[in-house]
Amino acid sequence: MLRRSLLVTLTAALALLLPSYARGEKIKVGFPIILSGGGALFGEPAMKGAQMYVEEINAAGGVLGRPIELIVRDTKGNADEAVRVARELILKDNVDFLVGTVTSAEGPAVSVVAKENKIVFIAPIPKTDQLTAPEKLHPYVFRVAANTTVEGRSAAEVVAKWNVKQIATIGPDYAYGQDVTRAFVSWIKKLKPGVEIVDQEWPKLGEADYTPFINAMMGKKPDAVFSCLWGGFFVTFAKQAKPLGLFEAVKLNVIAVGEAGSPETAKTMGSDYPFGIWGNSYDAFYWHPSPAHRDYAERLSKYLKDPYPSSWAIQGYTGMQFLVEAIKKAGSTDSEKVAKALLGLTIDTPIGRQTLREKDHQADRGQLYGKMTLDPAIGFAVMKPPTYIDPSRFMD
Amino acid sequence: MPDLSFLLAQSLSGLTAAMFLFLIASGLSLIFGVLRVLNFAHGSFYMLGAYLAFQFVLWGGMGPGRFWWAVLGAALTIAIVGGLVERLLLRHLYGKDELYQLLFTYGLVLIASDAAKKAWGTQQLSLSRPPGLTGSSRVFGTMLPHYNLFILLLGPTIALGLWLLLNRTRAGRVIRAAALDREMLGALGVNVSWLYTGVFMLGSFLGGLGGALVTPVRAIVPGMDVEIIVEAFIVVVIGGLGSFWGTFLGAVIYGQVLAFGILIVPAFSIFSVFALMAVVLIVRPWGLLGQPLGT
Amino acid sequence: MAARRRLARVPWGLLVAVAALFVPAIGSRFYTFVATDIAIMALFAVSLNLLLGYGGLVSFGHAAYFGIGAYACGILMKVHAVPFSVALPAAGLLAAVFAALFGFFCVRLTKIYFAMLTLAFAQIVWAVSFKWNSVTGGEQGMSDVPYPDLSGLAWVPGLAGYRTSDHFYVLTVGLVAACLWILRRVVRSPFGRLLTTIRENPERTEFIGVDVRRHELLAFIIAGLFAGIAGGLFGIFNRGVFPDFAYWPKSSDVLIMTILGGMGSFYGPAIGALILIILNQEITSYTEYWPFVLGILLITLLFLFPGGVVGALGGLVRRLERMRRA
Repeated sequence: MLRRSLLVTLTAALALLLPSYARGEKIKVGFPIILSGGGALFGEPAMKGAQMYVEEINAAGGVLGRPIELIVRDTKGNADEAVRVARELILKDNVDFLVGTVTSAEGPAVSVVAKENKIVFIAPIPKTDQLTAPEKLHPYVFRVAANTTVEGRSAAEVVAKWNVKQIATIGPDYAYGQDVTRAFVSWIKKLKPGVEIVDQEWPKLGEADYTPFINAMMGKKPDAVFSCLWGGFFVTFAKQAKPLGLFEAVKLNVIAVGEAGSPETAKTMGSDYPFGIWGNSYDAFYWHPSPAHRDYAERLSKYLKDPYPSSWAIQGYTGMQFLVEAIKKAGSTDSEKVAKALLGLTIDTPIGRQTLREKDHQADRGQLYGKMTLDPAIGFAVMKPPTYIDPSRFMD
Repeated sequence: MPDLSFLLAQSLSGLTAAMFLFLIASGLSLIFGVLRVLNFAHGSFYMLGAYLAFQFVLWGGMGPGRFWWAVLGAALTIAIVGGLVERLLLRHLYGKDELYQLLFTYGLVLIASDAAKKAWGTQQLSLSRPPGLTGSSRVFGTMLPHYNLFILLLGPTIALGLWLLLNRTRAGRVIRAAALDREMLGALGVNVSWLYTGVFMLGSFLGGLGGALVTPVRAIVPGMDVEIIVEAFIVVVIGGLGSFWGTFLGAVIYGQVLAFGILIVPAFSIFSVFALMAVVLIVRPWGLLGQPLGT
Repeated sequence: MAARRRLARVPWGLLVAVAALFVPAIGSRFYTFVATDIAIMALFAVSLNLLLGYGGLVSFGHAAYFGIGAYACGILMKVHAVPFSVALPAAGLLAAVFAALFGFFCVRLTKIYFAMLTLAFAQIVWAVSFKWNSVTGGEQGMSDVPYPDLSGLAWVPGLAGYRTSDHFYVLTVGLVAACLWILRRVVRSPFGRLLTTIRENPERTEFIGVDVRRHELLAFIIAGLFAGIAGGLFGIFNRGVFPDFAYWPKSSDVLIMTILGGMGSFYGPAIGALILIILNQEITSYTEYWPFVLGILLITLLFLFPGGVVGALGGLVRRLERMRRA
């Protein structure tokens, strides 16, 4: 009798102990991202978004009863440093998963390491089609960013509605710029066969003086302009193009992708923004598609202590959200099982329903597009109205 | 055949870029000419000048005249920073292998980039054109922004001012003498040590001024230090390290090559500039207007 | 003194190389990667020191040859399925050919002009690899460079349990040790001694009838050759080749390694590579402000230990001996 009650007590104690042991063991997620140099512009807010998500999920009891630990490392924008930190995260810090990278060199580079170590890797920012192209695809790589094909085609969908015939393009002369421009050009020609590409300008990545390119472009007398200059490059381009009269010359028929319509860029430029052109963005704090997004924007604003929170944070946030939902679905932190759970997974994110397509591990991530109009209340341009372009009907 | 107004627009844009580059590169060239130090951190001074101008405008507001005070304040602050660096650290490396001086200034580049990141974050920043220079005028059928016009006039003015300083004042004569023979100057009772500090401050001032003045036409971003230093190197190499008018000529050539080069070989601007630098170094290492060094 | 002479007689290089072979057995896979990184960078830094320490030539573009070697080896192995045993020597050879071409112009210049021209050439190499999409993969580089087929190594006793990356490590240590041995022979040869004489006084060496430029060019080619081999190994180790390999910060990294270890000794740069890689790894896991730390470290080094770690240790040993004798 005594022995049996002892056994029961022991079992009960063990039963109590075991889950608490499991509860204590953290799920480690490695987050290699650019935190210094030019690319930090995207890397830092994406990291903040991921951190906010992790704090929220941990406050709610974690996943499978276990908290998540985010281990962030600076890739410095170098592909070899990205490979080095990815290996360090996997082999030294024993992370279970990788989420991160920014550039189109880092993404594929880290993807190889993930494949070698059979670790799920979710890319929140790299847009290069190469990352999930058939010859590079493997069971562990996924992307929640829009890719260059989607971005170029979305822009073409917008421009197809304009009454324009002669289009000029300008984009940084490297993989991203070339690929988005190519996607735009081929799609607009398909949608509007009469359209002519009258000029293509390729300033180098990092160019600080766009005036000669703008002059050359204006010399060809286009009636619309497509730009995929991102971040500070768009700011510089627009500041130089405005007094040269480019925007009036094309009657504001300009579409600027590369997130030139993001609140960050608009806020930086204030009244210097070329109001009336079209821009795009991953997110916008003033966009209200659903109560869930309004709530997210408020939480983010509080978390970042910024009344106009970043539009990049959502990329880190949804990247982590996909991972966590897949862990839940798999009921395990085994990369093999989580990778299977991610295939075709559909989740509700703050920006709406998103699916990681089974065939190419690519999320059906679209972006917001809209005419950039000055909002006098906040003193900078907003997309009015922001329209989410769902790419699922024109993805390959 | 492109029409004349287009050619004019293109050469004006090349000239504007050239004047910005001259402002920055003249400081680099001056420091090299006198101190024989190739200052990698010159790009960092340029970047910090831009950030400081932004900061001063943020504090002072964008009212009439405020922008100019911010620019001057930024350039002077950079001059002081430069003076401190020279007085406290760099001075101890004179006479040592130039590798040490190079690496010292490279160390400054690393420190400055992280300091700027700590102070101003990773997001791009921007300043508006100052009131009065926001518009543009039509000149022979091409648009010329007033701020660009201002820079086009400022470049030669500063060049002339520097030339007068170097050629028509006692301080200038001493500086030129120091570039030729340091020991002799010391023997003549000139305080070479403070002279060097002064030259380094003047050079830094020009770098900071260049950075502050580009803010209305360029975004302020991390990494702008490295972009500019490579261009400034190319300009001083083309013109001749340490040669004052050479730097001016180098900047003008560089600006025109870039402005017209993109019309001929659109996608090769990234490497034509390095090729240009290599060719000048091979054919005429002391540059177009420089003098062969020592031996 | 006797103790020092006895210490000097120990074949340290060989001992370290043999000891290094046991890293996979005792350390984790992670430390094997770190050790591979160190071995390759050590070769890269020692190759630079042939110019810097022995020749007195400040190259600011040594990454060019590292990059050329990496691309050559990576393209041959990945695109053309050439075996490693052919691809790696070819990588070294191609790097040497480019070093001969660029070096021909560089050695005509002195001091700062030499540094500037090496930089310009390296930037051209970088720009070409950044732009030439069809061959180098452009800015995205070329990922998925295959490991060499090392199934032969599995037959070696003790290596059977190792993974591919461990086998590659063993191979790397062997190759790096062989390259360092050759480089050591080079610096101890009459050619190496002449190089040092040229560094000390180029004019006088010219007067005694030595073709200074030809000797400097030869040093440039040898340095390029071994940088190319290091690059080829690194591309495989990194499982991908990227334009960053030829970009100027790579050149400055290897310069810092060399100075950090000490350019006055043969193995100094290798020790510098070891220290810099470990420091980078440890410090970046605490802070993202690594450039700041590196900048401070570099400046401290220049002011307090201009001879690098090896120079400082040598000075310490000498002082201790003097104290003992007194």
